[in-house]
Amino acid sequence: MRRTQERHHRRLLAAKILFLGLFLAVGGRAFQLQILQGDKLMRLGQRQHLKEWIVLPKRGALFDRAGEPLALSMESQSVYVRPHRVQDADKVSQSLARILGLHAAEVQQKIASEKPFVWIKRQLSSPEAEKIQALNLDGIGLFYEPNRLYPQGQLAGQVIGFVGRDSEGLEGLELKYNDYIRGETGSSVSERDALGRRVLVQGIEGLQIPPGSDIHLTLDTSIQHIAEKELEASIVKYRAKAGVAIVVDPHTGEVLALANYPSFDPNHYAEQSAAQKRNRAVTDSFEPGSIFKTILAATALEEEVVGKEDLFYCEMGKYHFAGKIIHDSHPQGWLSFAKILQVSSNIGFTKIAEKVKKERYFKYIEKFGFGKVTGIDVPGEVPGLLRRADSWSAIDLATHAFGQGIATTPMQMVMAYAAIANGGILMRPFITRRILSPSGQVLLDNQPHVVRRVVSEKTAKLLASMLRDVTTEGGTGTMANVDGFDVAGKTGTAQKADTAHGGYSKKRVGSFVGFVPANDPRLVALVLIDEPEAAVYGGVVAAPVFRNIAQAALRRLAVAPEKAMPIAAITKQADLAARQIVKRSAPVAINVGADAVPDFTGLSLREALEKAQSMKVKVRLQGNGYVVKQTPAAGGHWHDEDVLVLHLQG
Amino acid sequence: MASVVSAQTRRIASVKRERPQRSVASRWRLVFGVILGAALIGVVLAHVWLRLQVVRMGYVLSTTSKLQTRLEQENRELKFELARLNSPERLGALARQRLGLVAPEKGQVIVLR
Repeated sequence: MRRTQERHHRRLLAAKILFLGLFLAVGGRAFQLQILQGDKLMRLGQRQHLKEWIVLPKRGALFDRAGEPLALSMESQSVYVRPHRVQDADKVSQSLARILGLHAAEVQQKIASEKPFVWIKRQLSSPEAEKIQALNLDGIGLFYEPNRLYPQGQLAGQVIGFVGRDSEGLEGLELKYNDYIRGETGSSVSERDALGRRVLVQGIEGLQIPPGSDIHLTLDTSIQHIAEKELEASIVKYRAKAGVAIVVDPHTGEVLALANYPSFDPNHYAEQSAAQKRNRAVTDSFEPGSIFKTILAATALEEEVVGKEDLFYCEMGKYHFAGKIIHDSHPQGWLSFAKILQVSSNIGFTKIAEKVKKERYFKYIEKFGFGKVTGIDVPGEVPGLLRRADSWSAIDLATHAFGQGIATTPMQMVMAYAAIANGGILMRPFITRRILSPSGQVLLDNQPHVVRRVVSEKTAKLLASMLRDVTTEGGTGTMANVDGFDVAGKTGTAQKADTAHGGYSKKRVGSFVGFVPANDPRLVALVLIDEPEAAVYGGVVAAPVFRNIAQAALRRLAVAPEKAMPIAAITKQADLAARQIVKRSAPVAINVGADAVPDFTGLSLREALEKAQSMKVKVRLQGNGYVVKQTPAAGGHWHDEDVLVLHLQG
Repeated sequence: MASVVSAQTRRIASVKRERPQRSVASRWRLVFGVILGAALIGVVLAHVWLRLQVVRMGYVLSTTSKLQTRLEQENRELKFELARLNSPERLGALARQRLGLVAPEKGQVIVLR
């Protein structure tokens, strides 16, 4: 009995030792796995079931003032190869080349690369990407990349700029506001299953990377389009090298259009030259020529050195000054100051400059903003070239009077005219209205900014009336006239400096800058045509472009003409046929005395308006097409204060 | 002798009285144990079920997230297409070439005040 008990004790002890040993072994192993190798094993485990997913930055969009998109971001797929994983290089290269429109040899060369990763083609079209995905080839993969697209093509291309493959702005507004619109690159770690599929067990918060902010511009797509089209037409017509057209609201400094030629399509930025990418309106300075005479005129009027009707003798086109001879294109005798501006006499302005003196003139040149950047929010702006008055020789006073010996940017020039147009205040131009974050928060809000008062309102008004004469009969800018409006402006035909031989070459810059309506300006515009060949005068090559742009822009801005415009008659066959149909069902006209209500029924809208205008009858229109009913009815008694309501249909 | 018998009888009686008491306690312990065990199993099963639900929802979320990305991309493509189709350049060309429209001549525009 006792021996049995001892045996049980020994067995129990052995079992205890065995289990203790096992526990120690398990504990030791656990210690080894959890403590000693814990970090390493955790990493290995995470590598198997966790994956970092890169969230690409979503760049903000650019919109015009009406909300039309000018730049949008999308994601495109790019195809790559991991050369060492490709099984049959010949077959793969031929399949890819066929889908991507590449040469098989070119693809094969990439597959034969020693590198572990090689791009085959970036930013594929959707059908290309789908076809490649369907092939399911080993070693060939697709990767999503951000892609910047410009739906309006070349419209305002130089202003908008472009972004590189890495989604970084490289030119224009894309560069200027890159920090706002870039968006953030993010990453999110999430679990994946045995097939490599993402399983979002931690939710989607990690994937919510805020996109970039949207930029709303002051540009108007319609006016911009007209400006580009008209500029190009003139450049082609007169075989010019380049050109610039700018339209600005003179009261606010908002840039409504900024056109450059040669044009630039940011969708294909890599294929285009640096000359096409340049925003010449701010990056290039030029000798302005006669359009600069307005600055001297403003100085003379503001300082009351010269009156509008003061007379000057223009030496019949040849004037000896400071050892040089100054010429006028058309010999003139005695002219008033206003007439000197109207015919753009170099001699007349030289004599005015003599009266003004160089220090005073220089002060106003600076006040108008020349020699300094305007501060417009596009990159690459230059200040132009302005020498200090104390370094001017005697002849420099004369050359500065008619816009030589000084270099200005088109933007500086248009803003100087804007100052005259708005009553004497120099405004800072701007092209970005506001920047909105994805949540709608306003990050940047550009408001009109007054730089300084340059001349008094009285001087500005007087000068505007003198500039108005430039576009009337006898002036140099008659081709700038817009139907129904008074235009104030100035033509310029500047000689270009000969950089190789010194002096001036035979090349010219034709320009026109002005504002409309002259007495209450809604827009100021500059047109500059560089090196025209078929004709050189600003009044010929640039003034008509101004007219066409201003006409379309005023219509777009809903500015009613100040003067009555003649109405052209239209007799289209379709109009007549339709009118006859309506006429049959219309009541018969009652022709009664002068106080009777006239019959408008059966008339087209155009004819009804013509008739109303000729009879000086106030009308209110309802509907469109042909007049089917009128109130009061034809033949009734008519009072002068009555309004005729026309109901149109068809 | 009688006192011995009586003592034995009392002991037996007390044993008889104690036995039902122990049986009830152990039954309660058993019931408690079963409930605890079931609860534990329930918790474990619930945990497993929840875990499976989380994984399932993870898949659903992943699919929905992909769908969202695809729809957003499609939306962007459509916006781009709309903007391209609305561009003044294209509309102008269509108006001229397809509809034969021309810019209004001088005096053809009547302004209504």
